[in-house]
Amino acid sequence: MAFSDLREFITMLEKSGDLVRIKKEVDWDMEVGAISRRVFEQAGPALLFEKIKDYPPGYAILNGPVATWRRVALALGLPPNSSVRQIYAAYEERRDKKIKPVVVKAAPCQENVMTGSEVDIYRLPAPMVHDGDGGRYVGTWDIVITKDPETGWINWGMYRFMTHTQNLLTGWPQATSQLAMMMKSRYLPLNRPMPIAIVAGCESLCHMVATDPFKPGENEVEYAGGLRGAPVDLVQCKTQDLMVPAHAEIVMEGEVLPDKIAHEGPFGEYPGYRSGTMSEGVLVQLTAITHRTNPILTLSTLGVPPDDSSIAASLTAAIAMKRGLQRRGVPVREVYVPPEGVTHLIVVSVERGGSRVARQVLDFFTARRVMVSKVIVVDKDLDPFDMNQVIHAFATKCHPAKGITVEHYEGRANALTPCFSADERRRLKGASVVFDATWPEDWEEESIPVKSSFETTYRDAVKEKVLANWESYGLGGKS
Amino acid sequence: MKREYVTFVRRLSDLSEGKRALFIKDLTPGPRKYDTKLVRAELSRDAARLPDGDTLWIRSETGRLQPQPWSMKVLEELPPYVPGQPWQDVFTSLRHLG
Repeated sequence: MAFSDLREFITMLEKSGDLVRIKKEVDWDMEVGAISRRVFEQAGPALLFEKIKDYPPGYAILNGPVATWRRVALALGLPPNSSVRQIYAAYEERRDKKIKPVVVKAAPCQENVMTGSEVDIYRLPAPMVHDGDGGRYVGTWDIVITKDPETGWINWGMYRFMTHTQNLLTGWPQATSQLAMMMKSRYLPLNRPMPIAIVAGCESLCHMVATDPFKPGENEVEYAGGLRGAPVDLVQCKTQDLMVPAHAEIVMEGEVLPDKIAHEGPFGEYPGYRSGTMSEGVLVQLTAITHRTNPILTLSTLGVPPDDSSIAASLTAAIAMKRGLQRRGVPVREVYVPPEGVTHLIVVSVERGGSRVARQVLDFFTARRVMVSKVIVVDKDLDPFDMNQVIHAFATKCHPAKGITVEHYEGRANALTPCFSADERRRLKGASVVFDATWPEDWEEESIPVKSSFETTYRDAVKEKVLANWESYGLGGKS
Repeated sequence: MKREYVTFVRRLSDLSEGKRALFIKDLTPGPRKYDTKLVRAELSRDAARLPDGDTLWIRSETGRLQPQPWSMKVLEELPPYVPGQPWQDVFTSLRHLG
């Protein structure tokens, strides 16, 4: 069953014990961020701040809608105690389905409208998230919508946006992002502004789809419909030729300017650091702000994992990577993106390993824009979701000289990777490494070391006997 | 009464005294805190040299705060942007403004 909007999801989270309403007045200036960060680091509930200093009663901020696997499961309509593998499977099964959106004439997201000189971003409680950020971030858990004027492709992405003045925002979609590609290829050559809508407070699967790296040309809104099992209602923007989710809480309409720039950043980003990307972004002239009555601004107080990015985006990234590896002919079984690795560390399980396959995997991850810096390739005899097993395989099977392959590149690195120097980040210069934790393909079977575990060492008859007698050994219930 | 502002620089050592264009964020409490202006201003490490100046806090591109603020006298407020294409370095454009 699809949630019709964020409010319905909030109600469900509250019922399941996965959301706390904070009724005490809190300051948008770092207090909301500090509370949210601490709760993230305790893997705590989503937080709905209902009384924000300087803002009217009813204006609220929601932090962390999908920052735990429980909440991701609930967003997908699964039992909250579903395993990570089950959540991955459900997402993968639904990911290829498309349902076209439905266009509506009237929409909750346009209950209140500011246009022209009325546009004032400071009428929304954009938080100062971390001490030391470059400003107040109104776009942290958002959907950013842009349109290719030649093909009609509507791109949904998730990018950070900061208040600049009352009617200007600055933002930092990476220079290698799909938004950047569209701006550079379609609008900049003509010196034209690019229409943009920055949307906050949608039903959670819509936001998750915005984190999913679908190929250019794919309309994410149709995949959001497929994931939800119901179409997304869209409404025409008030001032831009764009469609936005009708049930969103807040829509900021505007234009990315082709010939003006301004200060942006820094920001405590998803890798868990404020790594210094600053003042190399875009400037947006706001043309309208529309919102529901008593709007709820969605927030993800990004930082060290877990948070919405490390949890939900690891799911969407993993499935997209698996599909990409399959298309390249890699004998991939499963891909796991451990939240602790903040999409920098990937585990790829393969049917058969060896250096050739490891190289194929590295080639896939470094072919275009490179968001991943470390990949561990493992054999199918272990569970890639179990990091104990992954670390054991890495420690014992990855040859310290022959098992490591590095690829260097420039112009397409992840500018947020903290271990890259400031100069490297600016030049988008970096490197990725694959750790081959599989047995070499040319080793004869009789020479491959035998894993000494209960499962692999003993004959079935012995294992069955031990399991049957487990309780009688005085070792508790069957395990 | 002195107002307080903050500005960001790539490196703390990038900032020099004298007249220059810079983005500043207003630290006056209230719903418009952190509103940004582009100004041409005179800067000094020594508050005594700009007795009618405001307080300017300085942060690096990783957001680290320089412990001692500078003094700043705003000479002119400019439109809150500089010429340039998206993803270009704002500081390079600022230098061209002088």
